[in-house]
Amino acid sequence: MSLAEPAALPVATSAPPRLHALRRFAAGLKASLPAYLLLLPSLVFLALFTYGAMGRVFVDALYQRTTPKAPVRFVGFDNISAVLADASFTGAVVNNLLYAVGTAIPSIALALLFALALSRTNAVTSALRAALFLPVLIPMVAASALFLFIFLPNVGLLDYYIGHLLPVLPNWLGDPDIALYAIMIITIWKNAGYYMLFFLAGLQAVPEEVMEAAHLDGAGPFMRLRHIILPELRPTFLFVTVIATLNAVTQVDHVFVMTKGGPSNATNLVLFYIYQQAVEHYDIGKASAATLLTLAALMALTALSFRTLANREGGP
Amino acid sequence: MLFSRRLMLGLAMAGALAFPALAEGPTEIDLFFPVPVDGKLARDMGTLIKEFNETHSDIKATAVYTGSYDDTLIKTRAAIKAGKPPAAVIMSANFLLDMQIENELTNLDSLIAADGVTKEQFLGQFFPALQGNAVINRSVYGVPFHNSTPLLYINADQAKEAGLDPNKPPQTWAELTDWAKKLTKREGDKVTRWGIAIPCAYDYCGWMMESLTMSNGGRYYNEEFGGEVYYDTPSMLGALTWWNDLVAKHKVHAPGATPGPAVSTSFISGNAAMMMLSTGSLTYVRDNAKFAYKVAFIPRNVRNAVPIGGASLIIPAGLEADKQKAAWRLIKWMTSPEKSAWWSRATGYFAPNMAAYKTPDMIDFLNKNPDAKTAVEQLDVAKPWFATYKTVPVRKTLEDEVMLVLNGKKQPKEALAAAQKAADELLKPYNAETSLKLP
Repeated sequence: MSLAEPAALPVATSAPPRLHALRRFAAGLKASLPAYLLLLPSLVFLALFTYGAMGRVFVDALYQRTTPKAPVRFVGFDNISAVLADASFTGAVVNNLLYAVGTAIPSIALALLFALALSRTNAVTSALRAALFLPVLIPMVAASALFLFIFLPNVGLLDYYIGHLLPVLPNWLGDPDIALYAIMIITIWKNAGYYMLFFLAGLQAVPEEVMEAAHLDGAGPFMRLRHIILPELRPTFLFVTVIATLNAVTQVDHVFVMTKGGPSNATNLVLFYIYQQAVEHYDIGKASAATLLTLAALMALTALSFRTLANREGGP
Repeated sequence: MLFSRRLMLGLAMAGALAFPALAEGPTEIDLFFPVPVDGKLARDMGTLIKEFNETHSDIKATAVYTGSYDDTLIKTRAAIKAGKPPAAVIMSANFLLDMQIENELTNLDSLIAADGVTKEQFLGQFFPALQGNAVINRSVYGVPFHNSTPLLYINADQAKEAGLDPNKPPQTWAELTDWAKKLTKREGDKVTRWGIAIPCAYDYCGWMMESLTMSNGGRYYNEEFGGEVYYDTPSMLGALTWWNDLVAKHKVHAPGATPGPAVSTSFISGNAAMMMLSTGSLTYVRDNAKFAYKVAFIPRNVRNAVPIGGASLIIPAGLEADKQKAAWRLIKWMTSPEKSAWWSRATGYFAPNMAAYKTPDMIDFLNKNPDAKTAVEQLDVAKPWFATYKTVPVRKTLEDEVMLVLNGKKQPKEALAAAQKAADELLKPYNAETSLKLP
């Protein structure tokens, strides 16, 4: 006992660690209380419309109703396994992955190209920036209706201009091998101008002195791009990639307007599959299960991206 | 005297104060309406509802545009689920069975009886071919509003130029194939004008398959029971094989799935010499074709037969009594001979009310536009539109496979077997619940 006494002494003089932490927490809370109060309205709405709905989806995913006469019954994870076994769901996932990669890479590449070309501000670049940004302002549904006429087989604008160059006129939206790529074109056309904004902002943040120093050291434009600009733009890249990936899952207006997931499910994306299950098949259980799976995948992806972002920036 | 004058004044004051409370505002009702074909139907609907409101001061109806037929079903279901169903909906006639199974429809029998007429008298106003999609288990659930049949449209100028007589349109599949071959124009391997275009997009594709299957002596589904479809049958195989031959063998029909608007645009622009399309597009063709055109019956292989298309007016379940009554008055007004005839002239759909064709305006119109008679004449061979449990997904199982065939990805036989399997899977729970249930 007496041997242990001196060792226990320093602990006894200060507050016990638990209490200490609590006190710190209370002090922290006091300091950040106004911030929490300011966040409260958003939190209320999020709880009502987002977390509440998510909770409901979680419950709905556990139940199944077969016919209107049959009672709703608890089926546990049956809905989830039914969704995973559904060829049109796995097809939609594959389509969506293809669509995500096929739209993210070209639109980000184009956006970077635009931003680099138009980084200096003058009358010409301002006009060009506005022109490239214009598709962002057009609602997706309107853009899709427009492209419906561009893609019209035989008589559409696309066939009118490039049809004579091809041996066979493609049925852009009616051929399952082409349709998904056709709708990718709209997405790329629409998003490139949007992502350009982020890259333009990112380019502003590249320190002028570093660029000047590199210039004096004899680094050419390519060297500067490779070793200074691109590394400096890394956070922008990560951010835009996250946005592009989320867009690939959440934008389905064009699928609604142009193809309804067809022909033969070739343009069916995950969100459209969920919609089909819920409102066409009237199968809330399967729709909820598919929603949960999608949500889980997106949350994992977002968490991963934020961690990567945090690591790159050094963290606290 | 003074007392009584004051009393009078008081009574008048009280009356004036009570008046706003006594006079109820008009019953406000919504009408959901789709625009499934080409043309300016939405504007015409505005005109129609404006006239109704002007002549019915106690009702204020609002027309709400709800997209395609499929979208209208979805939006109606969403409104019912939300507890705010619209008072009336122009609903694709083949969704009525599915909605009745889901308990989403108001049975109209009692509203008909309250008017002092029998069901037979009420339905007697409409063409007999339409009753199959309006009556379910001997109760009335829908009132035919604008209906259609598929038609064969022919570019008469191009037919003449190819040495064909547009006044003697092809009557059989063999003749149609022959016409299509003669009307197709090629430059080397490239087709510059297609002989025929048949739409295949979700919704239209299933209807065209039903039409071709019927012309081939078959049927699409069990007209008496919503749990059976007949995809994997010789009659449907023959129909799909013929359609596929137009694409793959004769190369007179563009490959791939083509939506309705693309078909009508091709026809209007002279890029397709013939097309099979709904009579609902007739006014659009009449207004836009810069050439002489003809409409004819859908050619037969075995028999002349077409499915009914178009829409009926329904009252969703779960409405308050006053709204239900107001909706019923709106429905009766819209399906009256005069309004029905006006709508038919505006759109190209035929008027389901037989008396519409006896109105002077309609007689006059038909004399000027004999092409509008074809769909009505074709009614003699018309049969109900496919209607099953879960109509849309069951129909899609077939459409997805037909699209694969038209794209050269699958042979008709294996495609139909796959469609049948998928449809049976969707229908299984309903069959287990009804036809397979042991007493």
